[in-house]
Amino acid sequence: MTKKEKKSFNQSMSEWKLFLYNPTTGEFLGRTAKSWGLILLFYLVFYGFLAALFTFTMWVMLQTLNDEVPKYRDQIPSPGLMVFPKPVTALEYSFRASDPASYEEYVKELKKFLKPYALEEQKNLTACPDGVLFDQKGPVYVACQFPISLLEGCSGVNDPDFGYSLGNPCILVKMNRIIGLKPEGTPRIACVSKDENIAAVETYPADGIIDLKYFPYYGKKRHVGYRQPLVAVQVLFVPNNPGKEVTVECKIDGSPNLKSQDDRDKFLGRVMFKITAHA
Amino acid sequence: MGLGGGKETGAPQGQNPSTTPKKEKKTKKMRRKRKKADIEELKKEVAMDDHKLTLEELSAKYSVDLTTGHSPEKANEILIRDGPNTLTPPPTSPEWIKFCKQLFGGFSLLLWTGSGLCFLAYGIQSNYHEEVMKDNLYLGGILAIVVIITGCFSYFQETKSSKIMESFKNMVPQQALVIRGGEKIQVDVQNVVLGDVVEVKGGDRIPADLRLISAQGCKVDNSSLTGESEPQSRCPDFTNENPLETRNICFFSTNCVEGTARGVVIATGDDTVMGRIASLTSGLTVGKTPIATEIEHFIHLITMVAMFLGVTFFGLSLILGYGWLEAVIFLIGIIVANVPEGLLATVTVCLTLTAKRMARKNCLVKNLEAVETLGSTSTICSDKTGTLTQNRMTVTHLWFDRTVYEADTSEEATGTVIPEGSDTWYILARIAGLCNRADFKPNQERLSIAKRTTTGDASESALLKFIEQTYSPVSKMREKNPKVAEIPFNSTNKYQMSIHLREENSQTHMLLMKGAPERILDFCSTFLLKGQEYPMDDQMKEDFQNAYLELGGLGERVLGFCFLNLPSSFSKGFQFNTDEINFPMDNLCFAGLISMIDPPRAAVPDAVSKCRSAGIKVIMVTGDHPITAKAIAKGVGIISEGNETAEDIAARLKIPISEVDASTVKAIVVHGSELKDLNSEQLDQILQNHSEIVFARTSPQQKLIIVEGCQRLGAIVAVTGDGVNDSPALKKADIGIAMGISGSDVSKQAADMILLDDNFASIVTGVEEGRLIFDNLKKSIAYTLTSNIPEISPFLLFIILGIPLPLGTIAILCIDLGTDMLPAISLAYESAESDIMKRLPRNPKTDNLVNNRLIGMAYGQIGMIQALAGFFTYFVILAENGFKPNDLLGIRLHWEDRYLNDLQDSYGQQWTYEQRKVVEFTCHTAFFVSIVIVQWADLIICKTRRNSVFQQGMKNKILILGLLEETMLAAFLSYAPGMDLALRMYPLKITWWLCATPYSFLIFVYDEIRKLVIRLRPGGWLERETYY
Repeated sequence: MTKKEKKSFNQSMSEWKLFLYNPTTGEFLGRTAKSWGLILLFYLVFYGFLAALFTFTMWVMLQTLNDEVPKYRDQIPSPGLMVFPKPVTALEYSFRASDPASYEEYVKELKKFLKPYALEEQKNLTACPDGVLFDQKGPVYVACQFPISLLEGCSGVNDPDFGYSLGNPCILVKMNRIIGLKPEGTPRIACVSKDENIAAVETYPADGIIDLKYFPYYGKKRHVGYRQPLVAVQVLFVPNNPGKEVTVECKIDGSPNLKSQDDRDKFLGRVMFKITAHA
Repeated sequence: MGLGGGKETGAPQGQNPSTTPKKEKKTKKMRRKRKKADIEELKKEVAMDDHKLTLEELSAKYSVDLTTGHSPEKANEILIRDGPNTLTPPPTSPEWIKFCKQLFGGFSLLLWTGSGLCFLAYGIQSNYHEEVMKDNLYLGGILAIVVIITGCFSYFQETKSSKIMESFKNMVPQQALVIRGGEKIQVDVQNVVLGDVVEVKGGDRIPADLRLISAQGCKVDNSSLTGESEPQSRCPDFTNENPLETRNICFFSTNCVEGTARGVVIATGDDTVMGRIASLTSGLTVGKTPIATEIEHFIHLITMVAMFLGVTFFGLSLILGYGWLEAVIFLIGIIVANVPEGLLATVTVCLTLTAKRMARKNCLVKNLEAVETLGSTSTICSDKTGTLTQNRMTVTHLWFDRTVYEADTSEEATGTVIPEGSDTWYILARIAGLCNRADFKPNQERLSIAKRTTTGDASESALLKFIEQTYSPVSKMREKNPKVAEIPFNSTNKYQMSIHLREENSQTHMLLMKGAPERILDFCSTFLLKGQEYPMDDQMKEDFQNAYLELGGLGERVLGFCFLNLPSSFSKGFQFNTDEINFPMDNLCFAGLISMIDPPRAAVPDAVSKCRSAGIKVIMVTGDHPITAKAIAKGVGIISEGNETAEDIAARLKIPISEVDASTVKAIVVHGSELKDLNSEQLDQILQNHSEIVFARTSPQQKLIIVEGCQRLGAIVAVTGDGVNDSPALKKADIGIAMGISGSDVSKQAADMILLDDNFASIVTGVEEGRLIFDNLKKSIAYTLTSNIPEISPFLLFIILGIPLPLGTIAILCIDLGTDMLPAISLAYESAESDIMKRLPRNPKTDNLVNNRLIGMAYGQIGMIQALAGFFTYFVILAENGFKPNDLLGIRLHWEDRYLNDLQDSYGQQWTYEQRKVVEFTCHTAFFVSIVIVQWADLIICKTRRNSVFQQGMKNKILILGLLEETMLAAFLSYAPGMDLALRMYPLKITWWLCATPYSFLIFVYDEIRKLVIRLRPGGWLERETYY
């Protein structure tokens, strides 16, 4: 190709203007109004058709789904473990016993979370037999009561500050809900403090027992009013040793079919959190 | 002033690079400064006046004694001053620069930018976040690796081609016979200096530009310089103003064919005419190849799309409340996602495959990008000698018994139809065989006669071969009729005479003569008809004139033959004296005429007509004479049958040329001297208004001007040539094609492509392959680009709708560099949809490799369907695992929170981060598999642009292999154990493979309908908007 002389700035500007709107041909961005109209109409029809088709296939797919149970549950064979309240970022709690503002948020959240567990809220629930799986055949599924008193010092009944003001904060540990999960043996949540010199831990109910009567779970739609069994962990900082932090690890124990060890999933059947008690 | 005009005062042009390093530096600097001016200077015609000088003036000018030459000391002095008598080799760029060009040229730049952006994004992320997804780092790295590997690949491809080039080089050092201090000494050619007196003889290569002092029967072959196919005789007389035409100058690196000559060196090294051409060639700047322009255009388009998407979503993400930093990361991510990672490799491999295919058909491509150039070519400027013709004189016609006979001129000529038993033919053949100084070189018995080399003049060799083939072995004939006397041909006599003993009567002699027909006729008083002698009459003379004109008009060189049986008084033993003629030399008997020409190669006419039907204009540009040029042009169809030049029309209608209606004239023969006086507008007029053009008597500089003229008119020009005189044009052309066997080194160096078998017809193959690869690259790019939409859209919806990411970087790379690769390459093997040699060459301005329509099809239509297929699969998997589509909207922040391990799904179940990530990666895998499935359909629809697949068939085995390969690879990536750890690909349930199939089917049906409409309504709206 022959070399073209470099276009001057003005020239390229006027070329651009001509491209934006060409008064002689009536072209706007290289097309006439009619041409724009046709191409837009084409794509409107084309995309309209595609959208309709997509909606249709999605609708067909949704028709094949069961409202009560998901089609596949093989991705969650074993439940994860999680703490409550959840700190904003990592699982690191920090508070100062003398400063209510520092734990106000935790307390508020705990109160809110435990509200459905209040006695009057559980009036309509069934008192199920302890220690055995509560299999139900339907079509009506009932939920078992979880007496909040099981959480003892962490129930919030006696201590509205959940131990934070005393320097012995409460944290709830719960096992993820999975539809149809039937734990074997006697599952419990075992929590240990990494450094007993700084803090000891106390679990409620005693030994962190999770009663089998709360299993299996039948799903949001069928199992209305289901109360997730909870275990409270109270971290008891050794007095006169303030300003320390401690790591607590909780694991599911006593049930052979609930995994608590996975290289990738650090929350499968276990949870680890850190609490810092400022002076 | 001598050669280089005003250059003599400064440092000489061909400064010896090995003098002192300081000086070298200085000259280099000066040279660079003057380079541009020099090129303009070199483009001008050769100006010299040495040929006009008398010997005394010459002696004075070069201060040399013309008999004793320079003293050795003085010669040495001049050698140190001027440097050795060699051509400065063209500046070759070092290997690492060539490598870098491969690494950073064109397309690679796009990928480097992408790679850089990735690293930038990773840098930003790692600065502001503690835990960073390493995706960007990997992507940046992989992009860089892809560029480097493809760069290495194409670098090695090109080195391989240039290695083949190296092997052509002639390494034999040349010697020259110089007279110095009164003695003849042999010196290396590079030590010949200005003013040396040099002796050359037949077979020598001329060691420098020489002004002849004396010559005996000297003939030189100037074909590599001027393109004249016939050897030119040389003498000390000044015969023409033009130094290239005058008889008293011999040029560096041309060959002395016969005779001896002595001359003074008037220029050495780069100052020689040959050197000027070589410097002109290496100094020319070459434009971009068409494919490079196309790729640049493509990059512009892609960048525009990427920027548009990036900026739009940058704005959207800011509006949606993302932070600045996140928005910038998104912006980079979107831009990078638009980079088609695999396309560079695909394009390179496609071009390489074609280059290999062409090499098998004897077209060696030096530069990968040149593969396509021939396909875009709209004008071929072809040299005549050695390219269109065989570059050897061959007997074409005989005239005796008042009849014209045609000889077989094909390269493998085996015999000719000559009337058996004609006595005239018997005598004519004997004259041609005996009165002939040419002979076969020894030890060639095994070669066919046409291929044997001979000593002597081209026309005599032609006669020798002709007689050997059609009559009887000449050596035996000569044995039986020993030569007793001879007068060799010279330009004043214009005849050659020899006396032989007669075979049937060994006591008497016969006198045989050949020469210029009009001279021969003057000697004759009788003529031969069917073996009988008749007295010459007017009727015969008229016939003779007609035959002479007819054959001459064909551009052929005509020789007349006559003989005389000497009376018995001149019997055996008679001492013939050729200086003082003591025997009768009149009243001879006229036998006939034989005409010869350098005939066109057999395959050329067919090739020219194929080029023409492919819409390519074939222009002949030759240094040879107009009549010969026109004859060959007519012979090969460059001037087609029935087309006449203005002169022809004028002659036919018997009107002056000025009265010929210019608009009806489609053919023209332009003489170099006319061309010299034309300005560029006039040249453009000639090029535009005529479809069949022959340029004759053109200088190398004019060839260049013609090429530039064609390019100015927007044509993509291919130049074919073999001589040094073609090399500037070869270099300037969009694609220069040199001849592998007969081509000079300089021309091969300047060319982009080499025809290893010297066969012009290979060009047709090249055009065909070039056009095919252009079409197939379009298909390949359309295929590759389509999957960009299903690759980008997940990220866009991730940003806009806040859904979990449907497709990850690793999966994208698996598509671009894995599954899409072989299918895209397989499209290079696709056969043409219609006869690509029947359509016009593409218009480089409007018919782009990648145009808006291709982008519209790939991105706007097929890509969208593909994206829907992917999203459908994605929603199916998530819904079947518990996350219904409605609940996914806006879930992003929770989904991505690695400390949120009790995320609730639509059924009340709770998921840990890792558990939902496994589902997400399963979605990535499924999305990836869906793309593979819709790419099946895409591959099949990309096979054709207009035809239905049912018309085209599924004959492309590589394509079927590609389909299987991508499916197997997808299955492997999904199901192979360990993939969850290595690439985070997870096994899929069989039903998830099926989700995309309706969409795949839709793509196929949609495109078949689209193509059906295009075929039914040619030129209709759909074709204008979607035919790419």
